[in-house]
Amino acid sequence: MKKFNIWPWIILLIGMVYFFLPLIATFEFSLKMIKDRYTFEAYRVAFTDSKFFLNFGYSVLWAVLTMICSTLLVVPTAYWVHWKMPNARPYVEFVTLMPFVVPAVTLTYGLLSLYGSPPIVLIGSPILLIAGYIVLSLPYMFRAVDTGLRAIDVRTLTEAALSLGAGWGTILTQVIFPNLRVAILSGIFLTFAIVMGEFTFASLLSWPAFGPYLEEIGSMRAYTPQALSVVSFMLTWISIGLLQLIGRGRGQEQVAGAH
Amino acid sequence: MTGITRVSKSNGDAPQARPQNRKAMDWSWLGLAPFFLFAIIFLFLPSVSIFFRSFQTRAGDFTFENIIALFTVRDIANAYKTSLQISLITAVGGALFGFMLAYAVVLGGLPRGVRTFMTTFSGVASNFAGVPLAFAFIATMGNAGLVTRWIESIFNISTREMGISIYNLWGLSIVYMYFQFPLMVLIMAPALDGLRREWREACENLGGNSYHYWRYVAFPILLPSILGTMILLFGNAFGAYATAYAFSGSFINLVTILIGAQIQGDVLYNPGLGNALALGMILIMALCMAGYAWMQRRAARWIR
Amino acid sequence: MAFLEINNVSKKFGTTEAVSDFNLHVEKGELVSFLGPSGCGKTTTLRMVAGFEVPTGGRIVMDGRDITDLPPNQRDVGMVFQSYALFPNMTVAGNIGFGLKVMKKPAEEINQRVSEMLELINMPKYAERFPYQLSGGQQQRVALARALALRPEMLLLDEPLSALDAKIRVSLRAEIRSIQQKLGITAIYVTHDQEEALSLSDRVVVMNTGRMEQVGTPFEIYNFPTTSFVANFVGTLNTAEVEVTDPAGGLVGMDGVQFVSSDEHVKSRRKGDKVRISIRPERFSFVTEGEKENVVDCRIENITFLGSVVRIQMTIGNQKFNMDTFNRPSLALPEIGDQRQVTCSSKAVLVLKD
Repeated sequence: MKKFNIWPWIILLIGMVYFFLPLIATFEFSLKMIKDRYTFEAYRVAFTDSKFFLNFGYSVLWAVLTMICSTLLVVPTAYWVHWKMPNARPYVEFVTLMPFVVPAVTLTYGLLSLYGSPPIVLIGSPILLIAGYIVLSLPYMFRAVDTGLRAIDVRTLTEAALSLGAGWGTILTQVIFPNLRVAILSGIFLTFAIVMGEFTFASLLSWPAFGPYLEEIGSMRAYTPQALSVVSFMLTWISIGLLQLIGRGRGQEQVAGAH
Repeated sequence: MTGITRVSKSNGDAPQARPQNRKAMDWSWLGLAPFFLFAIIFLFLPSVSIFFRSFQTRAGDFTFENIIALFTVRDIANAYKTSLQISLITAVGGALFGFMLAYAVVLGGLPRGVRTFMTTFSGVASNFAGVPLAFAFIATMGNAGLVTRWIESIFNISTREMGISIYNLWGLSIVYMYFQFPLMVLIMAPALDGLRREWREACENLGGNSYHYWRYVAFPILLPSILGTMILLFGNAFGAYATAYAFSGSFINLVTILIGAQIQGDVLYNPGLGNALALGMILIMALCMAGYAWMQRRAARWIR
Repeated sequence: MAFLEINNVSKKFGTTEAVSDFNLHVEKGELVSFLGPSGCGKTTTLRMVAGFEVPTGGRIVMDGRDITDLPPNQRDVGMVFQSYALFPNMTVAGNIGFGLKVMKKPAEEINQRVSEMLELINMPKYAERFPYQLSGGQQQRVALARALALRPEMLLLDEPLSALDAKIRVSLRAEIRSIQQKLGITAIYVTHDQEEALSLSDRVVVMNTGRMEQVGTPFEIYNFPTTSFVANFVGTLNTAEVEVTDPAGGLVGMDGVQFVSSDEHVKSRRKGDKVRISIRPERFSFVTEGEKENVVDCRIENITFLGSVVRIQMTIGNQKFNMDTFNRPSLALPEIGDQRQVTCSSKAVLVLKD
């Protein structure tokens, strides 16, 4: 009964062209630094700029800090919601969805006007930046961990562990974390991808990072920004690829990153 | 600090209100305290601050002037208009194309591998935004972009001489679409999976054809998901900053661009106005989220 | 001529043959069940009648009209699905009236038919409910009404009760049967539940791995299974491999125990042939007095209460057999390990084809 239908293929083709054309164009552009030849000169130039490593290094630092803080904040909370306070779930969920309600620019504005001047001044330290990144990561982290917890029946596991005489530390480190490894990892990969490419918070809070650096050289030079865009895209691709790989068949969808 | 006191107060109140109740209730809340403390300090207080300062003059007196100015100052009103326009265009466009793509992948009889590839790619594309995305499109359809050069050599024209520029509403819409429609694919694919084969068969068995099936069964079932996702896409575009900034600088006057400029150097010469601007943004986004949540609930209503 | 003729129908999915050489004539007003384990081809056969699958070979003729290649929406058959398949976005009335709406019937006619159907399934007050507000049993009744609303010539039911609780299953199957008889509609009923098939069908088709094993009335299927598959699938059965010792006298033996069978099939065998016999557990009884046929020694191994029936496991020769007996208060049960004598009629000892 199945008839061959051409339309899905046409739509798919248009989608593929739209997906790949900008990537191909960027790659092609990045190879043209030397006139009339395709070379990787732009990549060499980009990678020999000491400021690139500085900024990229900072981004990695921010990403690692965010991943750690976000995990420490979200995993116990999600676990607690599953084990003790299922009634609190809507409130926690509401908070994790806040970055969609308060976009990065707006949040920055609020943070700066509140903590930028006395009595509380937080702009000398990267606290606001990391806090902003944690907020960005909340929906992904919570969703990933929540799905993971749902799959392992926290209540039974915890009660079983308690009845066997385990303490809270043991339960968390020996029972819950190992079972959540995949879920936490997938949340972390997404967080990494988001923070590495993030521009708004870093730029408006004036911290060095890969995003603002890329934007800055974009306004001064040609070719190298495109080369770094390709690198950035590959980073995202690897993060999400790893995420899909470890989370295979878990039906996790991601909703919107930091634009 | 109101939030913090409320939380700690409820901790203190519980045993007095129901002294014979099990003690577990008292410290249960404490498990969530770090999370809510974080949310209060870094999410709610900034939002509350924006709210109150929207109604303050430079000297700190109460005023409605900032709110009124949102509608009367031309730059601000225009920024809202442009932001709404681009959000509407890319939400509708992204939803349409994303739906077609999701349909093609899920129900179009394409090979199985295509679907896996498409979901992975949509995951990447919906997260590939900001500066690199803007640069990618500049390399594609900017003055020296790949597609621009193709078009120029095929039709033997010069886009520059013809005064064609991509740094406008439509150009930016094309860029936004790159992260908009993959999001639609990601959300619609599972929704399309939810259409059961038996519904189509029952429809055929009762004398209906494809038209009847889509008109009376599939489309009404999907409609809340489609509308909900469209609202989500709308908010997604409305809050976008990095992509627009890197793509066209402050060429295109968007609300986010204006807020960013205000942060970098009080371009409105009035912090209260900046707060009002941000408040308007939060309100629109909150409306979007409420609409999305409502649609989600409708979508879930039938299917249990 | 039969109302529905399924002639030499077969269906292949790739290289696997789901249904092979299926032949069946269904009379008008008859309810025929297809009974078999999952994957036996019963649902595929039903779906070919409905038009959701096209046979690889053979013809399907309904009321003198060849419908083999007709699309499902032109077949005039109603179908009830295992998963109800009610349209979740429509009310009960909307679901029942859907077929008429597609046919662009006037609103009054639709309303009238809908209330008629709601009356038929005993749910007159549920017209404005949505499917998610109904229980499983109610949903399936609505699905039945929806399938019948177009007054089809034939009703197809694909495991309609298998998603329901045991209690509702029993009451709903009686309701389905009574509605089918009231309307006099020809019906095919697919199920994997032998009790269901036996209790509501005029005839039962037992299927296995795409083939028909046996066709017959419930009485025939239960009491005279012709293959070991049917014997095992329908009801609990004792089967044993035996050697024919005296074809003319109907004598077979195993491990030094002799059974006499009045089955014709013994007579056509030769001495020394190996055959399989079957004896239903309820055909055994303890020897009381006067029995002469098939009196054998046994050892009681286990006793299980099954409500109205007590199942006694015993060893005859070296083989395990089950005996079912009614659970009466007066029943004197043996102890485990007892040596007793049991008996069964020579009519109860059946020889299977394979």
